[in-house]
Amino acid sequence: MTGAPVSRRLRGLVFWSGIAMLCVWVLAPIYLIALGAFGGRAGVFRWPKSLMPWDTTLAAMQAFLAVDGVWAAALNGALVAGLTMLFSLLLGAPAGYALARYAFAGQSAFRMLVVLTRAFPLAILALPLTVTFIRVGLYDTAVGVALVHTALALPFAALVSSSLFMGIPRELEEAAWVFGCTGFQAFRKIVLPLALPGLAAAAIFAFVISWNEVFAASVLTVRNKTLTAYLLTVLAESPLHFRFAGGFLLILPSVVFMFAVRKYLFAMWGVANR
Amino acid sequence: MTGLKRLLAAAAVSGAALTGAMAQETIFLSTQLRPVEEATKVRQIILKGAPGPVTFVVEEPSPFQTRMDAETQAGKRTISMVGALHGELAPLVASKGLEPVDGLVAKATALGVPDAMMALGKLGTNSQMYIPWMQATYIMAARKEALQYLPAGADVNSLTYAQLKDWAKAIQDKTGKRALGFPAGPKGLLARFFQGYLYPSYTGGVVATFKSAEAEAMWGAFKDLWAHVNPNSASYDFMQEPLMAGEVMIAFDHVARLKDALVAAPNDYVTFPAPSAGKGRGFMPVVAGLGVAPNAPNKAGAMATIEHLLKPETQIAMARELGFFPVVKADLPADLPGGIKLLVEGVAKTQGAKDALVSLLPVGLGAKGGEFNKVYVDTFQAIVLRGAPIRATLDAQAATLQTIMNETKAPCWAPDKPGDGACKVN
Repeated sequence: MTGAPVSRRLRGLVFWSGIAMLCVWVLAPIYLIALGAFGGRAGVFRWPKSLMPWDTTLAAMQAFLAVDGVWAAALNGALVAGLTMLFSLLLGAPAGYALARYAFAGQSAFRMLVVLTRAFPLAILALPLTVTFIRVGLYDTAVGVALVHTALALPFAALVSSSLFMGIPRELEEAAWVFGCTGFQAFRKIVLPLALPGLAAAAIFAFVISWNEVFAASVLTVRNKTLTAYLLTVLAESPLHFRFAGGFLLILPSVVFMFAVRKYLFAMWGVANR
Repeated sequence: MTGLKRLLAAAAVSGAALTGAMAQETIFLSTQLRPVEEATKVRQIILKGAPGPVTFVVEEPSPFQTRMDAETQAGKRTISMVGALHGELAPLVASKGLEPVDGLVAKATALGVPDAMMALGKLGTNSQMYIPWMQATYIMAARKEALQYLPAGADVNSLTYAQLKDWAKAIQDKTGKRALGFPAGPKGLLARFFQGYLYPSYTGGVVATFKSAEAEAMWGAFKDLWAHVNPNSASYDFMQEPLMAGEVMIAFDHVARLKDALVAAPNDYVTFPAPSAGKGRGFMPVVAGLGVAPNAPNKAGAMATIEHLLKPETQIAMARELGFFPVVKADLPADLPGGIKLLVEGVAKTQGAKDALVSLLPVGLGAKGGEFNKVYVDTFQAIVLRGAPIRATLDAQAATLQTIMNETKAPCWAPDKPGDGACKVN
């Protein structure tokens, strides 16, 4: 008689403890970083560590934000990430559409080749890439870095948008043609609105990829460094409380972004837009 | 339409203003003083009195080389001047990333830069390739509470390696802690400990004596010492952090990598020279230099900035703020901050030790410097960490070392006996 409620309660317990585990898994490191960031120079070395946010100080944060060029670098980082988002969408979405809708020779080879752009380690490409960029005048510009980041984000944008477009029934488009739309009109009025949330999510991933990339951003720029390139190279050799402050500042935009677009993340796999 | 025109005009004006400003700007690329706090001090204090606007850009050694090579190959420069360690500037000679700065030699010599140091700056050519900028060395630091465990009869300022071992053992026996620490992490400078301290002290050489009988005995003794070294050493890059955290009580490191701990709590620490052994008390001065890039966009600005950085008052400010020591003749003021004073004392005791044995940075290895370091670190890892037989390991690594010497044709440098031709591992 009592078997059913007990097993249901047990299942509930497992379910909620699983959720609690996942939350702790993600939130505990972020909390510890925040604690270090606001704990001050002495706080990070105190042992045993206090897990309560007592005697916090903004000193490390303030020192960090007062470093020459941090704001310019943040602006640059946002600009580069924004451009990367734009470029990878403009190039990736049409490629994804073609993969989803048209059968052409070498389609699967193309699918593989797209992913191949991620197969070359940037460290090997650094020297020739820098030389070329200097020659064509892209060295030390936001556009130049955005182009490299686009190359990194493109496979993602193309493959995700192809799976998105595959999730939108071809019949809808055909119906639009029947009612007199041209191919482009049908795409713009029927397919695009349906795909938009997913495309937005893909764009945001491009943003995050660009925001987090260090190597190209630091080698290809001198004065106009992105925030991640500007800080990450020096963070490894800075005092511990500085590292926490910098780490906290660097993860913050990504976390806020993810939180803001969380419902689109599911749309990305072509599930939510039918 | 007018709005667009006005916008274009504004863009043109600001563009012109930008290029105008860039013509005077000197871009100073440095592998030194990278940590945020130090770079900020360079920008706000050290470069404040420079004759023109200087943009101080810091970069790790590997992207530094990539960027210099890329700009050389592309034939277009953005970097006017560079500041880096002796060993990082050396490869730039072959890759044509440095222009001779003979015009500054007279000035530097007049300010009291020692001749031996100026000679290092020629990097094996006939011209002055860099001007010495600042110097540093490695010392030891200990928390004061460790001093009570010093073995009887040992003076902390003239320790031997045997006494260091007894000291660390005493601490381990009494407190259960392995309290001695070395920077053996991925970015730590342990290779310099072997080249500038351990090898010279035990064998009186670095390359020639690499597999000598003394070296064999040395590795045996160091392996015994390691039993009392904190095993976390394999992850330490900068010893200031484990010192501050109380993980270790005695540490060896570069002065700039001990500085934070000493500055944060000057009353808690003592500084003293590294230990000695049979052949003396090895120590290695480190020199950073300033160079000018060929076809630099602002050569005049670069030369003027180098002159500014050589001024005695700038050099004293660098010691006070950053813990790097003057290369010119300059008396350090008595009112230095406590932590910096500890550093100065440690360095003075090292240089002034009766049995001091100077070991130079590797000379003439060019781009092979990294491989040279690897020989010493690999030997350490094989013998001490993995327990490989000492004689066989030394013989195998000696062959690698000889190959590097033959390929670079580098003659022996101090404390090995100088001679003609490639240095020989005996």
